[in-house]
Amino acid sequence: MTSPGVDETVPGRLLYRGAEADVVLGDWQGLPAVFKVRKPLTYRLAAIDREIRRQRTAHEAEMIRHAKRAGVATPFLYHLDLQTSTIVMEYVGGKMLRDLAGQMTANDAEEPFFKFGEGVARLHAAGMMHGDLTTANLVSREGTLVFLDFGLAHRTSRLEDHAVDLRLIKETLVGAHPGIAKAALDALFRGYEAVAGTPKSRRVRSQLRNIERRGRYARVT
Amino acid sequence: MKCLVIGVESTAHTFSVSVVSSDGEILSNSKSVYKAPPGGGIHPFEASQNHLAAAPSVLTEALRSSGTEPGDLSAVAYAMGPGLGPCLRVGAVAARTLAASLGVPLVPVNHAVGHIELGCLLTGAEDPVVLLVSGGHTMIIAYSGLRWRILGESLDLTLGQLLDQFGRHHGMASPCGRAIEESASRSDHYLRLPYSVKGNDVSFSGLLTASKSLLDRGASFEDVSYSLQETSFSMVTEVTERALAFTGKKEVMIVGGVAANKRLSQMMSAMAERHSARVLAVPLEYSGDCGAQIAWTGVLAYESGIEVPVAESTVKQSWRLDVVDIPWRG
Repeated sequence: MTSPGVDETVPGRLLYRGAEADVVLGDWQGLPAVFKVRKPLTYRLAAIDREIRRQRTAHEAEMIRHAKRAGVATPFLYHLDLQTSTIVMEYVGGKMLRDLAGQMTANDAEEPFFKFGEGVARLHAAGMMHGDLTTANLVSREGTLVFLDFGLAHRTSRLEDHAVDLRLIKETLVGAHPGIAKAALDALFRGYEAVAGTPKSRRVRSQLRNIERRGRYARVT
Repeated sequence: MKCLVIGVESTAHTFSVSVVSSDGEILSNSKSVYKAPPGGGIHPFEASQNHLAAAPSVLTEALRSSGTEPGDLSAVAYAMGPGLGPCLRVGAVAARTLAASLGVPLVPVNHAVGHIELGCLLTGAEDPVVLLVSGGHTMIIAYSGLRWRILGESLDLTLGQLLDQFGRHHGMASPCGRAIEESASRSDHYLRLPYSVKGNDVSFSGLLTASKSLLDRGASFEDVSYSLQETSFSMVTEVTERALAFTGKKEVMIVGGVAANKRLSQMMSAMAERHSARVLAVPLEYSGDCGAQIAWTGVLAYESGIEVPVAESTVKQSWRLDVVDIPWRG
């Protein structure tokens, strides 16, 4: 299979160097596109690294498709190349929630985090988890919250997995945005409940507390 | 004005006392380490008996080698937690007694905060992403809004427990990290093991079970040690990289007993290079549990006005570091 434009010399500007991939802005058949390239990570053994990169790239494409079907805003997929572990997709633009959150007051957090909660509930209702819901993986574009980076996503309806999603959100908020964490979480849980309904919302939050209790030296609040 | 603080560490296998000055000079760092029997781990009561027997001589030695007189001390710091109850109590008793007899304030210190603050002192780290890896902790930490915040952690075993329990299954005595590292260096045969990263967290329990079962089925200790190290270290490096990319910080500091492992710091360096970040490794003598981490953090806390009346100077077996205010970084 030929993959025009997908190689080490993808023309374009490095948008973001994530933990496991470079995100490069380029051109795909005349459209502005994002090339997400999982380059070999030299700290890992090739045997471990190759499998993880291939698996996550394939998974990610599949999971984006699945999330879109569940009614969650994601980038459009243009092309997939497992040889180079590259996904080519729509360039979303917008502003990263992490950066917006850095400027927010507790009041500003209401709207975006309510939507965040709704989106997560839709993913869960569709039988999947995102697996990496830090505020760096959400982008706000014209009032729509777009979910990015499905590299750790899985098909799962286990309550535990859904609670793990919420745990990471909480960990990120308390760890990186302590000033708005409480207001943002409140809004997020309300958004979640609005879509998932009260019984499911209760069960998943109770499982979240169970996970937190397993933490070292934890006193759950 | 320069002041001197004496610190008592007694959270687990190590009983250690150190005198540190407020300009960051470590004047002494004496210790006694409890040795577990082969195939066993730390027995909390046995360890506390070791500490009880060793306390007078370690304390005397720390004072003597520091070249200071008891009357020069401004405060006594002790590890209030987290840790093993019987061990913590020995340190607390020693510290209370000393503070009461000298008539100086008693300063409570969180052991994990101690690892981090001593690391910052010795490496010159200003605003690092911290990987704290030991028998008691596996956490990715960064400072924000008055506290050290946890960005990721192990959902079950710590990295130190993983290595120790694997080593003990092979008949070794805790701590087993060094022997496992040595065995691993003699192999390059990777056996597939489960790799479990959940968001910013890791889970080691399945990895431990799979590694033990490989040994039971006849795989060589060298090969499994190698594969276990490669897998578990890749996992913690991956989550550290996530925290580094997320926060945009430019320093990674490794502290705790497992920081002594060369393969781990090699992986961290390779990872940090991609992000143009520096890796700061704490010198071996101070990466594991020691009195200096308590004494130095005691200096910082004492200068911020933190102290505890003797009547309230209990120990806390569970005391997460993200509930501790850090006014000296505010």
